[in-house]
Amino acid sequence: MLSLKWPIQVYLMELRKIITYRADFWVNFFGQTFFSIVISYFLWDAVFSANNTDQMNGFTLEKLVLYYLIAPIMFRIQQGETIGAISREIYEGSLNKFLIYPINFYIYKITTFFSHSTFYFFQLCLMVFGFQLFFYDPEIYQFNLLDFFLFTILIGISSLCYFAMNSVTEFIAFWADNIWSLGVITRFLTRFFGGVLIPLTFFPEWAMTVLKFTPFPYIVNFPIQVFFGNYEIEMFIKSLMALIAWTVIFFFISRILWKKGLYSYSGVGI
Amino acid sequence: MRYLKLYGYFLRFSFSRAMEFRVDFYFRILMDSMYYIFQFLFFRVIYLHTDLLAGWNKEQITIFISGYIFIDALNMTVFANNCWWFPIYVNRGDLDYYLTKPVSSLFFLSLREFAANSFLNLVIASAIVVWAINGYSEELATWKIVLFVVFLLLGTIQYFLVHFLFLLSVFWTQSPRGFGDVYYAVAHTMERPDRIFKGAIRILFTYILPFSIMASFPARFLLESFSWEVVITILGMTGILFFIVLTLWNKGLRNYSSASS
Repeated sequence: MLSLKWPIQVYLMELRKIITYRADFWVNFFGQTFFSIVISYFLWDAVFSANNTDQMNGFTLEKLVLYYLIAPIMFRIQQGETIGAISREIYEGSLNKFLIYPINFYIYKITTFFSHSTFYFFQLCLMVFGFQLFFYDPEIYQFNLLDFFLFTILIGISSLCYFAMNSVTEFIAFWADNIWSLGVITRFLTRFFGGVLIPLTFFPEWAMTVLKFTPFPYIVNFPIQVFFGNYEIEMFIKSLMALIAWTVIFFFISRILWKKGLYSYSGVGI
Repeated sequence: MRYLKLYGYFLRFSFSRAMEFRVDFYFRILMDSMYYIFQFLFFRVIYLHTDLLAGWNKEQITIFISGYIFIDALNMTVFANNCWWFPIYVNRGDLDYYLTKPVSSLFFLSLREFAANSFLNLVIASAIVVWAINGYSEELATWKIVLFVVFLLLGTIQYFLVHFLFLLSVFWTQSPRGFGDVYYAVAHTMERPDRIFKGAIRILFTYILPFSIMASFPARFLLESFSWEVVITILGMTGILFFIVLTLWNKGLRNYSSASS
């Protein structure tokens, strides 16, 4: 039976590490949020003004601002730790210790991943709370506790999916040493095709149809739609199934790569 | 001359090191190429919903995109790796190595790591600039094209200097990242036409965090009628930023304890 004692210790230790540099943490958090909203607001304000309209593809400018408040932070939750958290252990040879310790490498990495995610989730809750307190307007969106609960669950599953997808690229380090750029490519793809940069409703119809066969919209767009309450039960169940299926597929591939990779691992490092 | 020779050694060392990780070398080309594609796709989606953005049509925005892609590629090749390591050196107390050498420590620290694996992307980015200018339907004066490139080079220096400003905070916070994350968020401002910003935010992005100047102003210089205001702002801001970075660098060094944290 899996002991939860050491994962909890690792989780708490990582949390302590994250908050070591508090000034950095808060300046980075507020700075990132402020600038990402400002840049998006002015871009879309220019688009709305050019069209002389106050509603486009189901979004008002105010709703878009809320979208750009939620989407980047949610994406940060899903990314958890920085790129290279696994591959660095491989090419530096520090994976050796995990092979000797009586702990599961996967669980260790998922634990550290989620400790980072927890912190970003805390930021997200703070932002939503702040928005509710100062800017809440039922015409932009209607806050619903059930939707927020489902949104939270979906963030958990989609983060797991992103972790699994990312681990597939990270394990390539067994054969290719430094593969930092592959992690960045995964991030680019998810950011654009998931809808972090532009809500997917602004994409052409054919692109939306194609994207349904990829994991990206389920990772980013689906949880946000649930947050806004833009879903029906049938769509919710289908999307949830797709998200879970992608998570299982990525974990399966990742597991194969891990097992095969260990045979190629020299343990020497750079 | 001594500095040029030294930079030659940096280049030679960087190329031989880049070839150690051949797969990463190719993945990096793929990564940056995808970044370029996504920049064009982003504006393509935006232009599905409007004909003009900040007064620019699709052709004009293509030149603007090519400009900031070039700045990004040049920055990634020459400065980005150095910026990545700088706060880590301060945090670990490893800056001593740079301070004890008989050359300008700022020169050594900012230019030592040449990203040879990004060099090919710089070639691709340059080709994109040529392609964008060639594809423009109106005739562009040669002297304007030359100055456009010079202003993009200055834009790259401004981009680096602002990044460095954000990182200098590490002398006081001692963290291994500085305010780098904020920088990466605000740096996207360079990827938007300056005229979408209004009021105080426009002033902020033009004169305080001058991301709007880096790519938008060179594009405005090339595409619109000659304006002294554009030229003076580009030149003036480069000088001012350089002065501020030098001043803060000297102040920061006085605060540097050499102890790791």
